[in-house]
Amino acid sequence: MPLVNNKVGDDCTASGDKALADGRALVDSLIKVVACYRHLASCVGGCTDSLQLRDELRQTRERAQKLAGDICHHLTSHLRDKSLPEEQRKEMELLWVAFSSCLELLHVDMCKVLNMSGIFSLADSATLVHTGQEGGCSEVAARALSLPDLNEAQAKTLPASLESQERSTMELEVNQIDRMIDDMEMKVNVLRWMVEPHGPQYADPLSSTDSASMALISVDEEQQAPRSQPLCPRSHIFVLLLLFGVFLVAATLSVCVFLFS
Amino acid sequence: MTIKNALRDYGQRYRPRMACLRKAEKVLLEMQDPCAGVKSQPQRLVITIIPHAITGEDIIAWLADRFQIDPQEASSFGSMLVALGYIYPLQDHKRLVIKPDTSLYRFQTPYFWPTQQWPVEDTDYAIYLAKRNIRKKGILELHEQEQYNHLHKWMNHKWDFIVMQAKEQYRAAKERKKPDRVVFDCQERAYWVVHRPPVRKHSQKLPLNNFVEVFEHDLPRPWHSIFIGFKSKFELDYSKKSNFVWASFLSEPFTCRSKIVGENLAFWEGCEDLKWGTAVAMKEKAEQIYKTFLARGAPRWINIDGKTMEITVKGLKHPHRYVLDAAQTHIYMLMKKDSYGRYLKSPVFKETLKKAVNPEEHKFNEVQLEQNARNRRPSLSPIIIRQQEQEQRAKMAASAPVDITQVMSKLSKQGKEMGPRHSK
Repeated sequence: MPLVNNKVGDDCTASGDKALADGRALVDSLIKVVACYRHLASCVGGCTDSLQLRDELRQTRERAQKLAGDICHHLTSHLRDKSLPEEQRKEMELLWVAFSSCLELLHVDMCKVLNMSGIFSLADSATLVHTGQEGGCSEVAARALSLPDLNEAQAKTLPASLESQERSTMELEVNQIDRMIDDMEMKVNVLRWMVEPHGPQYADPLSSTDSASMALISVDEEQQAPRSQPLCPRSHIFVLLLLFGVFLVAATLSVCVFLFS
Repeated sequence: MTIKNALRDYGQRYRPRMACLRKAEKVLLEMQDPCAGVKSQPQRLVITIIPHAITGEDIIAWLADRFQIDPQEASSFGSMLVALGYIYPLQDHKRLVIKPDTSLYRFQTPYFWPTQQWPVEDTDYAIYLAKRNIRKKGILELHEQEQYNHLHKWMNHKWDFIVMQAKEQYRAAKERKKPDRVVFDCQERAYWVVHRPPVRKHSQKLPLNNFVEVFEHDLPRPWHSIFIGFKSKFELDYSKKSNFVWASFLSEPFTCRSKIVGENLAFWEGCEDLKWGTAVAMKEKAEQIYKTFLARGAPRWINIDGKTMEITVKGLKHPHRYVLDAAQTHIYMLMKKDSYGRYLKSPVFKETLKKAVNPEEHKFNEVQLEQNARNRRPSLSPIIIRQQEQEQRAKMAASAPVDITQVMSKLSKQGKEMGPRHSK
């Protein structure tokens, strides 16, 4: 990508800011895709493993690789530009560190999926481990591919006979990511331990209402753990609140129906 | 910072641990077979029902039946599978043992199975802790809080990434159905209980140590090899602080270490020993470490900066378990950034690696060969031997009145002939 070699200060910083914003957006997308890939990878070898899951993995992987290629190109070209102002260089280096960490995560997950898909063949479904999960991960894949509905993007599903071909493709992709990581280290010398992050140590809780899964796990612990002790009052309160909430909604709905009928 | 290619495994697959894990995985696949495996039942959580839960007593009964062993041994073996992380408890999740009652367990998803090829990364642990904290602030336990702060200190440069990744993983999880989300949370939590157990501050032995001792004394031969593999893996995990493989060298024979890192590694070992050892020996150990590594003119003096030395020496006046933490961290950072990297490139290490990956043929001398030939027994599986004994007993019981003394002498003669069983 040819850089604007313009010595006028404003234009330079403006284009630099735009480059930074673009880079940030790309890195954020990659982080999202890698997070979704991890969720999909955790289902491989389990009872929800299927051709559809493998296909979703493949699509997510392809998207991640495309994003990685774009980011690598974008960041390398900017970081090798010596005329980049110091502040922007620092931001770029921060993005660089985030990008390389993300790539490492993706690489490990891809290797795990490659290994597991070799061990757990879909042809022999009796060997798939009963992990307790029942639903698929289509919504997660749709999130990764930024699609409202995954059915839009579903290509024809992979026939079982092409499993070996899929494996060799995956191996090539893993090697490609590996080479990308090595190339990055060669081309740009970023001292990772020198970058200073902006964010806080603790992320803010995203939503206080969705502690449902944690509550369920803790309720189960309290149910079984002490047979001698009575059930913890906290879980009582939670169930009561839930029932009360349901009752309120039902009451409101019936009042509305009565008023508008 | 090394970026590892997981496919380059530095000969890890040749280690006995891998063989141990492969055996455990085979057993596990048999256990979860829908027809011939352990019978499963649904788990009820308030209004959610999650399938594929198994009880402790069923696991023990299945193992006892499959391997023809007594319940105590089956219980030990089951506990080993839990401790390795192949099965996780649904209640009392911090205790990695099989309880012989209706306590529920579930099979771990293969993604979280222990395997040598992918070391447990601190980055992943940091992301996990950040995720838990996002869900509900203040939910981290004390040891997790400490770990989180510690990781924030030494992985500070990628903290933005860690927090962002945690948020994205949390958001992706919300896309899944609630029962699946609960299962995934349990799986992840169980994985980290195995790989990052809470630090024990008392001098009591860890339950795994007791369990390992039971293995040592009470096991018949077939499980001996699994025990060896398990024990060495356990030692590896407990001596690990970070994700790179230097801890494996702690179990290497002393001659393999080069002088460059010898003192640092020995100091590291001493610090770990102090941290995990008994409280009674603590003062002595601290004094010994000071005399060997830290005092002026010490025989194996380690190079740490003045400030850290000052703090450490001051702390040694009233020694406690973590008095050497600052010095240990300093040495660790030094090794990671500098001398360990050089060690990896040194000819000594390359030589060691070559020998490990392609070991030289062991040259037996004639005397040894003769002895091996003498000690060799016909290799019948112990299960078949037991079956044959049972058949013989049944035959003798069925036949006409016999002289009991003759029978007993015949049996005892056979027992002597069999001798000690094969070790694998």
